[in-house]
Amino acid sequence: MIGRLVWRLLPAAPALVVLAAWFVYWTIVQPPPSVIPSIPDVVRTGIELAIGGRLLGDIVSSMGRLLGGVAVGVATGLIAGFIAGLCRPIATFLNPLVVFFNAISGIVWLPLVIGWLGIGHALATFLIWNTVFFIVFQNTVLGIQLVPEVLEHGVRALGGGRWETIRSVTLPGALPYILSGVRSGLGFGWRALIAAELVGATTGLGQLIFSGSEYHRADIIIFGALLIGAIAMVMDRWLLAPIERRTVVRWGLVATSRGR
Amino acid sequence: MGRFRDLRVLLPFGLTIAIWWGLKAGLDISDKLLVSPPRVWDAFVVLATRGILAEYVSTSLSMIGIATLISFGFGVPLGFAVGTNRYAARALEGFLRYLQGISGIAWLPLAILWSGFTHTTTLAIVIYTLIVPIVFNTMTGVRAIPENYILALRSLGASRLRIVTDVYFPGALPSIVVGTRLGMGYGWRALIASEMLVRQGGLGDLIFGARTFGQIDRIMVGMIVIGTLYIVVDRLLVQPVETMTLARWGVLRK
Amino acid sequence: MSADKIVVSGFRHFFQSDSGPVQATGQIDLTIREGEVVTLVGPSGCGKTTLLKAIAGFIAPTEGEIRCDGRLVRAPGRDRGVVFQELAILPWRTVRRNIAHGLEIARVAKAERDKTVERLIGLMGLVGFEDRYPHELSGGMRQRVAVARTWAADPDVILMDEPFAAVDAMTRLTLQEELGRLCATTRKTVFFITHSVEEAVFLGDRVLVMTRRPGTIKATLDVPRHGKGGRDWDSFTGDPEMRAISEQVMHLVHAERV
Repeated sequence: MIGRLVWRLLPAAPALVVLAAWFVYWTIVQPPPSVIPSIPDVVRTGIELAIGGRLLGDIVSSMGRLLGGVAVGVATGLIAGFIAGLCRPIATFLNPLVVFFNAISGIVWLPLVIGWLGIGHALATFLIWNTVFFIVFQNTVLGIQLVPEVLEHGVRALGGGRWETIRSVTLPGALPYILSGVRSGLGFGWRALIAAELVGATTGLGQLIFSGSEYHRADIIIFGALLIGAIAMVMDRWLLAPIERRTVVRWGLVATSRGR
Repeated sequence: MGRFRDLRVLLPFGLTIAIWWGLKAGLDISDKLLVSPPRVWDAFVVLATRGILAEYVSTSLSMIGIATLISFGFGVPLGFAVGTNRYAARALEGFLRYLQGISGIAWLPLAILWSGFTHTTTLAIVIYTLIVPIVFNTMTGVRAIPENYILALRSLGASRLRIVTDVYFPGALPSIVVGTRLGMGYGWRALIASEMLVRQGGLGDLIFGARTFGQIDRIMVGMIVIGTLYIVVDRLLVQPVETMTLARWGVLRK
Repeated sequence: MSADKIVVSGFRHFFQSDSGPVQATGQIDLTIREGEVVTLVGPSGCGKTTLLKAIAGFIAPTEGEIRCDGRLVRAPGRDRGVVFQELAILPWRTVRRNIAHGLEIARVAKAERDKTVERLIGLMGLVGFEDRYPHELSGGMRQRVAVARTWAADPDVILMDEPFAAVDAMTRLTLQEELGRLCATTRKTVFFITHSVEEAVFLGDRVLVMTRRPGTIKATLDVPRHGKGGRDWDSFTGDPEMRAISEQVMHLVHAERV
C-alpha cells in the first residue's frame, strides 16, 4: 500500500529534490537575489507578471509566432515531402541539399535574415518555418518510401487506380512517420522560437527572459524558463500525443507513442 | 561508379548556386542583403589565408568536443544508474522530458548572470543540451535489454560487474551512440546560438559579429562552414560508429 | 538408487500485484534424483516457469524451501544451468564466444576452454557456424547455441524452460533427439518444462503433470527406458508402451483445460 503510494509519487521526486536543495542553499548562503532568488521571490514574480498582463501578452505573441511558423512549415514540408516521396528521382536529387540546409536550419540563419526581415514576427516565423520544414519533409519522405509495396500491390490488384492507392494505402501507411515528424517539428520549432526571440524580437517569452538578464532579474529568467518547459510539455502531452494515439496507435502501427 | 556518384551529389549544389547567382543578378539585390557567390568565395579566401577562420573554427570545435566528452563521461554512468533501477527510472523519466522542453538557450540568460560572457557559460549551455539525450538514450538502451540475458548470465555464475561489462554495456551501446549523435546535433546548434550572444569567439560569434558590420559575405561564409563542419563530423565520425554497432549486432532492436 | 539432487519441499509462491498478492502455484513437493531427466507438463499459466525460476534461484519462494545437494538455494549458481525459451544468447557475441561464456566467467584456461567449445560445436551440429553472430542464424540454430552454452559450463543440474517452443516443428524433432542423446551420454540431472505431452514423454525418465493455476503436481509417471538409452522418434512412435503413457498423460492434461 505504502509502496504503491511511493511509486505513484516518484515522478515528483526530482523536482522536490531540486526545490529542497535550492531552499537549503538559499537559507545557508543567502546569495544576492539578482543572482539566485529565493523560491517565494520567483513565485511572487510569476504572479506579478501574470497580473500585470505582460505575461499573457508574451505568451500570446510567442504562441502566435509558433503557430504561424509551424503551420507554414508543416504545410510546405508535407507538400514537398509528398512530391519527393512519390517520385524517387526528386528525392535522390534533393537529398544532399536537404542534408546541408538541415544542418544550418533555424538560428544559424538569424544574422542573415535580420537584414531581410528586420526584428519581429516575420523573422521568428521564418526561423521556425526553416526548422520545422526539414523535419516534416524528411519524415514524410521516409514514411512514404517505407510503406510496404505489397500493400500497394494489394489495392492495385483490386483494381484501384494511382490516386486510390495513394489515398487508401500510402497516406495512412505514412501517417505514423508524418505525425511523429509534426510532433518533433513542433518541439524543435518551440526551441527555435525561444532562441529567435532572445535577439530577434521585442515581445515573447524569449524576450522576457532576455530582459531578465539585462535587468539582472534572475527571478524572471527562472520563472520564464520553467514556464517555457511547462508549455512545451502541455503541448506535447495534451495536443500531439493524443492525436498520435487516436490515429496511429489504434491501428496498431506503433506500440506506444515515441518522441524524445 | 563511386566517382560518378560523388558528382551527382555536387550537382544539386551547383544548381542552388546558379539560382542564387541568377536571383542576385536578375533582381539586382543590394549587397546589403545578399552577395554573389564570387564575393563569398573571396571572403572565404581572406578569412582562411589570414588564419581568422581557423581560429573561429577551432574555438567551436574544441567547445563541442569538450562538451561531448564531459556529457558522455557523466551521462552514460548516470543513464546506467537510472536504467538498472526501475525506481530511479520512474523518478527521472518525466523530469528529463520536462528539461528537454526547456532548450539550453532558454537558460543562457541565467548562465550569463552567473558566469558572465565567458566560455564557461557557453560550455554549460552546450553540456546541458547534450547530456539529456545521452542519459535518456542510455537509460532506454539499458531498459530494452531482455531480462533473460541477465538471468542466463547469472546462472552461469557471473558477478554484477561481469553483467555490466558483458551485457549492459554492449547491449546499450547502440543506444548510447544514437544518443550521443543526437546530442551532438542539438549541442552544435545550441553552441552556435550561445556564441552569438556570448561573443567570445566561435562560428556563432563570427556570423553575428559580421552582422553588426553588415558583412554579408562573412555571414554566408560562416553559415556554409557551420553546415559543412556539422556534416563532416556527423557523417565521417559519428555515423560510421553508429552503423558499425547497429549492423554488427543485427536485429537487436528495430 | 542414486542420491537426491534437488529437493523442493512445501513450496508455494505468490506474486505482488496492484490488487494484492496473486497465488502463482499451489503447494509443491518434488525430488529429482541425480542423473535423472524429469519433465514437467502443464497448462500455460500453471506456475511451471515460476517453479523453475525458484529452483534456478532467480526468485525466492514465498513459502517452503528448495535444496540442491542438501544446500539451501538462495541465488543463481554455476551448479544449476538454465536454458530459456528464447532471447538468451547474446547478440554481440559469436557462436563460439557465446558457448565459451560460462567457461570465461569461471576463468577456465584458454586451451581447455577451446577444447570444450569445439566438442560442443561438434555435438550440437554447429560446425561451420562458429564465427557467426546470432542474428545470422535460424531460430533452431540459436537454441542449439543456448543448449551448448549451458552444457559447456558443465553444471550438475540443467533447467530447461520450454527451450524448443519457438522453433519450427521439423527442427524441433531433430533438437529433441539431439537433446535426448546429450542427456543420455552426459548423465546430467535435467529438469525440463513444456506444454507438449509428446515432448515430455519422449525426453523424460519421469513425467510430472501439473494442475492449472495455482498449480500443484497431480501425477507422476515413470517412463521405462529399455536398451541403449537412445531415443529417436521412429522407435518412439512405434512403441505401444510409449503410446499408452502418452495417452495417459494426455488425459491428465486435458482434464486441466479451462
